[in-house]
Amino acid sequence: MRWRTVWLCAGLLLASGAGVSSNDATRLDQLPQQWRDDRGIPLTLGDLLGQRVVVSMAYTRCRSICPTTIAELQRVQKVFDARGEQASFVIVGFDPDNDDPASWHQYRINRQLQRSNWYFLTGSWRATRQLAQQLGFDFWTYDTHVMHEARLVMFDAQGNRGAAITPASGNWPALP
Amino acid sequence: MRRVAMKLPGARLGPALLLGLLIGTVPVRAVGAERAASVKELQQKLEESLKAIQALTERVRELEARQAGTAVAASAAPAAAPSAPAAPAAASPAPGQAATPGTTESARVEALAQQLDQLETANASRGTADTGVPLHGFADVGVSTHNPINADLKGFNVGNLDFYLTPRLSDRGRALFEMNTEVSGEGSVGVDLERAQIGYQLADQATVWLGRFHSPYGYVNTALHHGAWVNNSLRRPGFLQFEDSGGIVPAHTVGLWLTGAPRVGLGKVQYDAYVGNSQQIIDGVLDMRNAGNTHGHLIVGGRLGYLFNAGAAEGLTLGVHAFSAHIGDNALPANMTRVLTYGGYAVYDTDQWENIAEVYLFDNEDLSGTSGKHHSNAGFVQLGYRASWGVPYARYEYTSLDQADNYFGAQASGYSYHRSALGLRFDLSPDAAVKLEFADTQLTDRSRDQYGAGLMQYAIRF
Repeated sequence: MRWRTVWLCAGLLLASGAGVSSNDATRLDQLPQQWRDDRGIPLTLGDLLGQRVVVSMAYTRCRSICPTTIAELQRVQKVFDARGEQASFVIVGFDPDNDDPASWHQYRINRQLQRSNWYFLTGSWRATRQLAQQLGFDFWTYDTHVMHEARLVMFDAQGNRGAAITPASGNWPALP
Repeated sequence: MRRVAMKLPGARLGPALLLGLLIGTVPVRAVGAERAASVKELQQKLEESLKAIQALTERVRELEARQAGTAVAASAAPAAAPSAPAAPAAASPAPGQAATPGTTESARVEALAQQLDQLETANASRGTADTGVPLHGFADVGVSTHNPINADLKGFNVGNLDFYLTPRLSDRGRALFEMNTEVSGEGSVGVDLERAQIGYQLADQATVWLGRFHSPYGYVNTALHHGAWVNNSLRRPGFLQFEDSGGIVPAHTVGLWLTGAPRVGLGKVQYDAYVGNSQQIIDGVLDMRNAGNTHGHLIVGGRLGYLFNAGAAEGLTLGVHAFSAHIGDNALPANMTRVLTYGGYAVYDTDQWENIAEVYLFDNEDLSGTSGKHHSNAGFVQLGYRASWGVPYARYEYTSLDQADNYFGAQASGYSYHRSALGLRFDLSPDAAVKLEFADTQLTDRSRDQYGAGLMQYAIRF
């Protein structure tokens, strides 16, 4: 039995040393909390604790990357449905100037994204930038576009940050 | 990963985890190093590690076999006196003592396994977002009765292979590079650094760029890049193509560009001001003078637009643009033309519509000869509807170019034409689209040719 421990410790050392860079571990309730959903109702991310939470970012005028992100979120939803797992899906707007609740509301209608466990959120610029930084969503504006990557970040039911999913070599990795 | 690991026999757990780590972390670094030699070296090390793991596995099996023998002997004692009332109580300390450390150790192993799992997940999740340069690629191929760029050619064609990089520099540092391989009319493959711009965000709504960028005029030239996938239509309007694809307006500028889009009212004001090397016409094609020009003249231009973000006009952008440049050619003797271009654009971009209109007026002056001033114009209107099954579109484009103007006369594509087109885009998946277009083109000055064309394009991004 001690051998297992030794091996695991060695593995932990290797794994921790193999990390390319250190990201501060983040819990869901350590993220900015003050948001409004697409009905303009205030929402606190901590309120979503108790089931898995999938967080992503998008903007309503995006025609290239965001449709891929939304498609992936829908895939994840299907996986959870198949597993019988409950989860919340949170999409935070990159551009609070454009992505107000009314825009998100129309966005949901146009794309038939109206499940009650999906939240399209608008916040202040400060909250948006802070959340993006904490979760590794790099973005910047270019022309009228927001330059960004497709990315999902998972939180478990206790609010602990888990895997971040990004497309690799044209394919999204398997859902953890 | 964790579930599998915990089901493994104890002797295999450690080696399996170590093997998983070696496979999961070391090769990633090797691939990241992009060196075949490193990969080979790592493979060799991995083989050595596997041998060591095998030896250690045998040793662990041996030790656990001995431990199991001891445990069986210890647990046999209470089992030997099941009928004695006191026996269970008396016997319970033995298994109890044996079980307590075991349970504790199991819990620790479980906790460590969870930590390991989290670390592996975290390492895996970092991916390119944290370790490398975001790289986007675009490619397209097609078939047509008239090549979309070289109308004299027909049949199958290879389009662009476009790589688009946006390395992250710092909170305010910006960089954008676009390398494109394209096929010429002769069939040769060329590589071009289409954009090489390094910028700095001065303020939230002010970024300055230095390098080679898409000249900010109209809408299409900055909204679209060389990847065909981003364009709903099969091709750009002919006169707004890139320079080496028949464009007659300088699509690229090498210089300095200040841009931003501050919020004003319910929308955004989009402003651009730029200065750069005046372009030159070389062998009939506009060249953006990557390394500078000989006469030192500059192109100076700007664009001002307003994007409505709310109300009935939400999604509408209206703007004006202008630039002035001294553009010569390499004829003998060389001509020099002061090119003054101005115009406007309107875009209605919503979830349902992609409607674009641009107009360009040219007031050019012959500076090297005596032909004087020349007036020309060009424009297009494109209506597109974003249906659930695809994007049908219709476009009308025209140029009316004064052939006595050296600026147009010296360009191989500086002829007048009008073209009507109907097209359709099907998205096969989020990263692949098939586009069809049927177009009728009428040339109106250098020749009077008219031809119809059917085109198909398969465009992807990756």
